[in-house]
Amino acid sequence: MFTHLIVGSAQGFNVGDAVFFALCFLILMAIIGKIAWDPITKMLEERANKISNDIDSAEDSRNKAEKLAKERQDALNNSHAEASEIVSKATQDGKERRENIISDAKSDASLLKENAQKDIEQERKDALASTKNDVADLSIEIASKIIKKELSAEDQKTLIDSYIKGLGD
Amino acid sequence: MDEAKSTFEFLGLTFNTANIISGLIVFAILIGLVFFLSRSITLRPGKKQNILEWLVDFTNGLVKVSIPGKESKGYGLWAFTLFCFIFIANMLGLFAHIEVNGITYVKSPTADPVIPMTFALITLVLAQYSGIKRMGYKEHFKGYLKPVPFFLPINIFEELTNFLTLGIRLFGNIFAGEMLAGLIANMAFSGGVLTFIVAAPIEMFWQGFSIFIGSIQAYVFVTLSSVYVSQKIYEEE
Repeated sequence: MFTHLIVGSAQGFNVGDAVFFALCFLILMAIIGKIAWDPITKMLEERANKISNDIDSAEDSRNKAEKLAKERQDALNNSHAEASEIVSKATQDGKERRENIISDAKSDASLLKENAQKDIEQERKDALASTKNDVADLSIEIASKIIKKELSAEDQKTLIDSYIKGLGD
Repeated sequence: MDEAKSTFEFLGLTFNTANIISGLIVFAILIGLVFFLSRSITLRPGKKQNILEWLVDFTNGLVKVSIPGKESKGYGLWAFTLFCFIFIANMLGLFAHIEVNGITYVKSPTADPVIPMTFALITLVLAQYSGIKRMGYKEHFKGYLKPVPFFLPINIFEELTNFLTLGIRLFGNIFAGEMLAGLIANMAFSGGVLTFIVAAPIEMFWQGFSIFIGSIQAYVFVTLSSVYVSQKIYEEE
């Protein structure tokens, strides 16, 4: 009953079987390797490569998208800052200009006022001067009228002479 | 169970007809199965390819557990073939046990000690070969003198026991399974209808259990084989 268990007994252990199975195994390995193993390992490798490539490219795209989003956010933030800067600059400019205009106007006004005063003064002086002359002429005329009325021919003659004499000097 | 055997001689070697026939059947089933599953291999797997891939992943996993490094790649095909062959061989005897005139012609090849021992021997040789290939002759055989030189007989004995237990474990499990299945079958046909009714569920239960045992033994055989190989590869560490 237990002859099976006696490994190497003449009856139980046929070297031929061992050789046969060893050969079978080797041939099987060769055939399986050829028809199934090589294609499958190759395919598994390809798939692994593809998956890792896909993951890499996905990572890449994600990074790119993030970068882009960040850039846009930055641009947005910058534009806010720029806009407020522009507004504040414009306000500043406006303020400056207003002040400039006011000060210009003030200086112009004072210049005009000065000029006007000068002119008035001049006019006044001129007027005074002409009045003086007029008064002199008038007084002379009046005087001459008065004198003419009361002067005799004799007196007139001496007066004219005196004038002429005066002219001659 | 001292079964009669039909043997024949060829080239001066004795062959057991039952073993040869069973072996050829296993061979044919395995080739047919793998051929059928490996048609149209594409990047997007189909049903058949999924089955094959699962199997390949499974045996690769067995190897990777004990040989974690890059070296495991070279042993994938070996583990795959070994696992499939032993698994189908274990199953064969459960479904087809053919006796003609008291002489068995088809059974589990693994229920004969010769075949498990042959596989164990292949593992032993592969382990030695891998060790020599990786470390060189000098380093490899130095491994037998570790940790101290007088461990040499113990180390050699360990190799021998590894080889023996590896083969006999598989043989014992499958042989016992077949023997009990045969006994139950004998009982079924010994006393007419009554014993048949009693024995049929028992036989069914035992066959189911044998399928379980056969799968576990194939798994254990491949796992231990890769452990023995890895011991030789990573001797220094």
